[in-house]
Amino acid sequence: MADIHLESLAHSYDPAATSPEYALKPLDMTWRNGETYALLGPSGCGKSTMLNIISGLIQPSHGRVLFDGDDVTGRGTAARNIAQVFQVPVIYRSMTVRQNLAFPLVCRRRQRAEIDRRVGDVAELLGLQRVLNRPAVALTADQKQLVSLGRALVRDDVSALLLDEPLTVIDPQLKFELRRKLKEVNQAFNITMVLVTHDQNEALTFARSIIVMNHGEIVQQGDPQTLFDNPRTEHVGYFIGSPAMNFLPAAQSADALGVLDGQLQVPMTSAMRGSDDLKIAFRPEHVNLGGEGHRVDARVKRIWFEGLDQVLELDSGGTRFRARLDDWRGTVGDAIELRVMDSHLRVFRDGELLEAR
Amino acid sequence: MYRQKHLFLLPGLLVLVAIIIFPLLFTIRVSFSSWDVFQPGLDWIAGANYGRLLEDARYWGALGRLMIMAVGTVLIQYTLGFALALLVWGDLKARRFFRVLFLVPMMTTPVIMSVIWRTVFHESIGPLNGLLQALGLQGVPWLSEPALAFASVMMVEIWQWTPFMFLLLLAGLVSLPREPYLAARIDGAGPIRTFFAVTFPAMAGISIAAILIRLIEASKIMESVYVMTSGGPGTATETSTYYIYIRGLRDFQLGYASALSVTYLVIMIISLTIIAKVLVRLFVKDRT
Repeated sequence: MADIHLESLAHSYDPAATSPEYALKPLDMTWRNGETYALLGPSGCGKSTMLNIISGLIQPSHGRVLFDGDDVTGRGTAARNIAQVFQVPVIYRSMTVRQNLAFPLVCRRRQRAEIDRRVGDVAELLGLQRVLNRPAVALTADQKQLVSLGRALVRDDVSALLLDEPLTVIDPQLKFELRRKLKEVNQAFNITMVLVTHDQNEALTFARSIIVMNHGEIVQQGDPQTLFDNPRTEHVGYFIGSPAMNFLPAAQSADALGVLDGQLQVPMTSAMRGSDDLKIAFRPEHVNLGGEGHRVDARVKRIWFEGLDQVLELDSGGTRFRARLDDWRGTVGDAIELRVMDSHLRVFRDGELLEAR
Repeated sequence: MYRQKHLFLLPGLLVLVAIIIFPLLFTIRVSFSSWDVFQPGLDWIAGANYGRLLEDARYWGALGRLMIMAVGTVLIQYTLGFALALLVWGDLKARRFFRVLFLVPMMTTPVIMSVIWRTVFHESIGPLNGLLQALGLQGVPWLSEPALAFASVMMVEIWQWTPFMFLLLLAGLVSLPREPYLAARIDGAGPIRTFFAVTFPAMAGISIAAILIRLIEASKIMESVYVMTSGGPGTATETSTYYIYIRGLRDFQLGYASALSVTYLVIMIISLTIIAKVLVRLFVKDRT
């Protein structure tokens, strides 16, 4: 069990180049013991690089990795007490499920009785008892992934479990189940878990702390609610939430900022002056049919259903935006009167959130 | 219109009949005749040739030697080839160098290569004995002592065909996915354990293919025997193909040689099928 500290860490795959390109730009951060994290971002944003540096599969070109203050940067993977599960299920083809689960302990020369006990425990936790004696290659993809996970859990020396998009190959139904199991494991063993994903839904339901990355940088870190309510950049606003946040280019006047022909307005502040790139943003979830707030008249352009809700694409004076409503009945072309609370409006200057408005 | 659809198969079928089925059927027919240099022609002597070959100890001896030689050389080729492939696997520069270097033995004409090797092994003028003597050792009768001659032929076969194994297995290694190796590192496996848990099982399919291709080829060993020892000393290095060649094209006993060929073919088909089944059962567990 350990806190993992990344100290001025950066990585370039070609550090000798005159202007090296960084897969991971310099950063400092701490992963707290027993916490659940989700690393979220588009493909190629540096998520997997970060994970592989923590597990020791990649040596960082700059900076240090500390486990409870202990420098492990130069140590190999086996000496780090890290377990990692990959996107593709990895099983040892020639072994049974039991032998697969026992493998990390056999490599660590544990006693026979201890191995049997731990394999039994993990099989019970993951629901693999019935297939223990079957060849691992005969399992389905999601069972194989459970075996990969089982090999991580069977070790008692694991201080952090790194999950590199492990649920991609799993059926949507089973995903939910597996996520629940991961949470159980997190609570039962107090293991730090880092989940890499580009599925925001997965991230929001799994982790207490979410880290959004883009272009090798951490854009924002926080709990799901913070990321939802106050995305620090437009990128986070687009990435978190479905459908994405509405970002509307704002018209400036002497004392106010307005969108949708002035139907939504916020007072001008000094922080907003001096930029051409000002946007007013709000979540589709924060658009209501009645109640208080700014009134917006719009026309329905498209409708699609998401469970009980309907997502509407709306047009107001030539500007398109989206709303998520649960009690509206109508068709395309209908005129509609909406309300947006002032407290839900956010202003973005040059792509970044203006905190104090 | 649709009734004639099978006609479209005819051109292919005709070619098949011409190049495979006709020669095969003709050989079988000839094997029931006494066609030889004195009485050419297709008479009918029923199974006389087959009766004769059952008692032909030289034929069965040649077959036994062929089996030992084929299985022995292929296993050594596989082991050496795999070891070499593993050695240069991680090293891009070495990979390129050996890939080109190892093409040379494979591209050499077997007859010319055998002539060169015969010279190398030559007792009095060969460089190999020269080297041994320079080191203060006794020269060795490489090609005139039965066991040594047998080993020499095997050595040449191994020299020529190990690169084939190497190239095939290297191609297999290069195409293996990375994740199992990362997982093995995380699970704490050392290099030997990683080899037996990850590499070897993953290479099972390609190993079987490589071994079978080489076994089929090796069961036709001919040039090296012909050039290096002509089956000698005595019949110490005589293999089935070489014996059939002697009976058919030196003694012109075409009827008898055909019977030998047909028997040889049947034995090969049966034994290679069994070997293939056994290999699959041994290596590939997921198909059971």
